[in-house]
Amino acid sequence: MDLLEVENLSVSFYRPEGEIEALKKVSFSLREGEILAVMGETGCGKSVLCKSILKLLPDIAKIKTGHIIVRGEEITDYTERQMRELRGSFFSMVFQNPMTALNPCMSVGEQIAEAVRLRQPGLSGKERQQRVAELMHLVGLDHPGERARQYPYQLSGGMAQRCVIAIALAAQPSVLFADEATTALDVTVQAQILDLFLELREKTGMSIVLVTHNPGVAARAADRVALMKNGELTGIGDVEEIFEEIIHRQNFI
Amino acid sequence: MRKLYIGRILYNIGKFALRVIVLSVLVFTISRLAPGDPLYAYYGERVEKMSVAQQEQARERLGLRKPLFTQYARWLQGAFHGDFGISYQYKTDVKEVIAARIGNTLILGGLGFLLIFVLALLLGLFCAWREDRAADRIICRIGTVTSCVPEFWLALLLLLVFAVWLDWLPGSGAYSIGKEGDVADRAVHLVLPLTVVVLGHLWYYAFQVRNRLLEEVRADYVLLARMKGLSGKQVLYRHCLRGALPSYLSMMAVALPHILGGTYVVETVFSYPGIGTLAYESARYQDYNLLMVVSLLTGTMVIFCNMLAGIISGRIDPRMRIHSLTGGGEVRGC
Ligand SMILES: Nc1ncnc2c1ncn2[C@@H]1O[C@H](COP(=O)(O)OP(=O)(O)OP(=O)(O)O)[C@@H](O)[C@H]1O
Ligand SMILES: [Mg+2]
Repeated sequence: MDLLEVENLSVSFYRPEGEIEALKKVSFSLREGEILAVMGETGCGKSVLCKSILKLLPDIAKIKTGHIIVRGEEITDYTERQMRELRGSFFSMVFQNPMTALNPCMSVGEQIAEAVRLRQPGLSGKERQQRVAELMHLVGLDHPGERARQYPYQLSGGMAQRCVIAIALAAQPSVLFADEATTALDVTVQAQILDLFLELREKTGMSIVLVTHNPGVAARAADRVALMKNGELTGIGDVEEIFEEIIHRQNFI
Repeated sequence: MRKLYIGRILYNIGKFALRVIVLSVLVFTISRLAPGDPLYAYYGERVEKMSVAQQEQARERLGLRKPLFTQYARWLQGAFHGDFGISYQYKTDVKEVIAARIGNTLILGGLGFLLIFVLALLLGLFCAWREDRAADRIICRIGTVTSCVPEFWLALLLLLVFAVWLDWLPGSGAYSIGKEGDVADRAVHLVLPLTVVVLGHLWYYAFQVRNRLLEEVRADYVLLARMKGLSGKQVLYRHCLRGALPSYLSMMAVALPHILGGTYVVETVFSYPGIGTLAYESARYQDYNLLMVVSLLTGTMVIFCNMLAGIISGRIDPRMRIHSLTGGGEVRGC
C-alpha cells in the first residue's frame, strides 16, 4: 500500500470571471521514504496540487472530482477538524515565498516553538526551547539563541526560508511538501538543504514531494520525477527515464 | 544611544508644549472674535438695563477693553501661576467650576471608553471569525443601523422607554439628591447615558477591528500557521490579532479624547453635570475664561493622545520598525 495516492484529482477556482481549471485529473502515488520531484513551467499547478492535498486552498477553490488516499484511508471528504490532525503531523509543507510565509509580528523563535508545541504538547518549556535550538541548528541557522528573538524583517530571504523549513520539520511529518524550498537559497546552501532532506529521509523514512524548477536539484535528490503542464500530469517515472524522454522530445522538435 | 533617547523625549515635550500654546492662541482669538457679548454671561438680562457708561466700566473691570494681545499676555501670565481667572457665569474660580464636574465626565467617558475598547475588540474578533456567516451578517446589519442613529435621538428614545414609560431607571442627573457618595445610586444613574455613549461609538471601532483582522486573515502567513495544525479561531487570536493590535491601540488612543469629549450631547439630554454641558454653555454665553480652560483640557488631551498613537504604532509594531531601521538605525536599543 502506498503512503499517499492521488486519483483523478481535478481542482477548479471559481472566480467572478468564470471557472479556472487548475488541476485536471491528476493521478500519482507516493511511496514510503520516496522523494518525488514535481517539475513544470510556472502556473502549471504545482503549488495548487500540494495545497489541495493539505486542503489549504482558498474558499473559491473546489475539489471537483478525485480521491486523496492516505495509507489506504480516503481523506477527500475529511472535515477541517480531521484535516487539522493530519496537518502538522502527517503532512507538512514548506511554502514558496519565505518572506511572506512567516508572521511579521512574531519572532521566529516563537513561530518555530509554536509548531513544536502543537506537535509535542508534552514538552516542558525548557525542552521545547532545546528542540527549537536543535531544529534551527538542523537547518543551518547560526546563533539560535539570538536568532530566535529576531523578527522576519531582520532576516534575509535565505534565513527566512530556513526558518520556514525548520517549522515544517518541527512537525516530524511522514510527507513533506517542499514547494520550491531551496529556490531562494544560494547554491551551496541549496546543496546543504538537499543533503538535509536526504539525511532525514534516511533517518526517519519521511517521503518528500519536491517541487522545483531546477533539473539539477531533481536529478540530485529525487527517486522519481513527475512532469506537469497546464494542470495535467503528463508523465511520471524514474529520473533517468524522464530526463531521457525530455532530451529525446527536445531533439525531436 | 542614551543621549539620543533623552534628546527625543525632549523634542517630543517641546513639540507638545508648542502645540498647546498655539492651540491656546487660537481658542483665545476665535472666542473673542465670535459675535456676542460676554457681559451677558456675567450680568444676564440685567445688561439691557445698564447704561453705556456702566457697561464700559464693567468691561474695564473684567479687563476686556485692553488690546487682544495684552489680554492674552495677561491670561498666559496668570495661567503659568495656576490662575485661570473667574467664570463670568458662575462668578467663581474657573478651576472650581471645572473641578466640581470633571469627575462626572471622567466616570462617564472613561467607563464608556473602557467598555468600547473591550467590546469592540471582542465583537470584531467574533465577526471576523464568523466572516460572512449568519451571525456576522446580522451583527453587521444591526451595527450599521445603530451607528447611523444620531446620539441625541437614541438618548431620547431610551429616556422615554426606560425612564418615562417603564420607570426602571432614573433619567437625569448623576445621583439622587443627598446620595452623592452612594456608589449603587451613581451606577443606576449611569446606565442610560453610558449605554448611549457605548452604542454611539461601538460599531465604528468593532467594524474597523473586523476589517483589519480580515485583512490579516488573507495574508500568506496564515497558511503556514494553519499548516502547523492551528484551527481558524486559533490562527485568528494567536496570529492575526497580533498584526491588528498595534493599529487598534493607536486608533483607540485617538479615540480616547473623542469619546471622553464626545459625551456632551449625552450629558445634555440626561442633564448630567459634566464638562460637556459646560463647554456648550461657556461657548454660547461667551464665558471666556471657562471656555479657554475647557477647550485647552480637551485640546491638550487630543494632542497628547495623537502623539501617543504615533509612539504606539512606531514602537510595538515590528513592521513599522523596518522604516526606522533603514532610516535612522537607532531603534534596537530603545
Ligand atoms: N487564488 C487563485 N485564484 C485563481 N486562480 C488561481 C489561484 N491560485 C492559482 N490559480 C490558478 O492555478 C494555476 C496554477 O497555479 P500554481 O500556483 O499552482 O502554479 P505553480 O505551478 O505553482 O507556478 P509557480 O512555479 O510559478 O509557483 C494558475 O495558473 C492559476 O490560473
Ligand atoms: Mg508555485
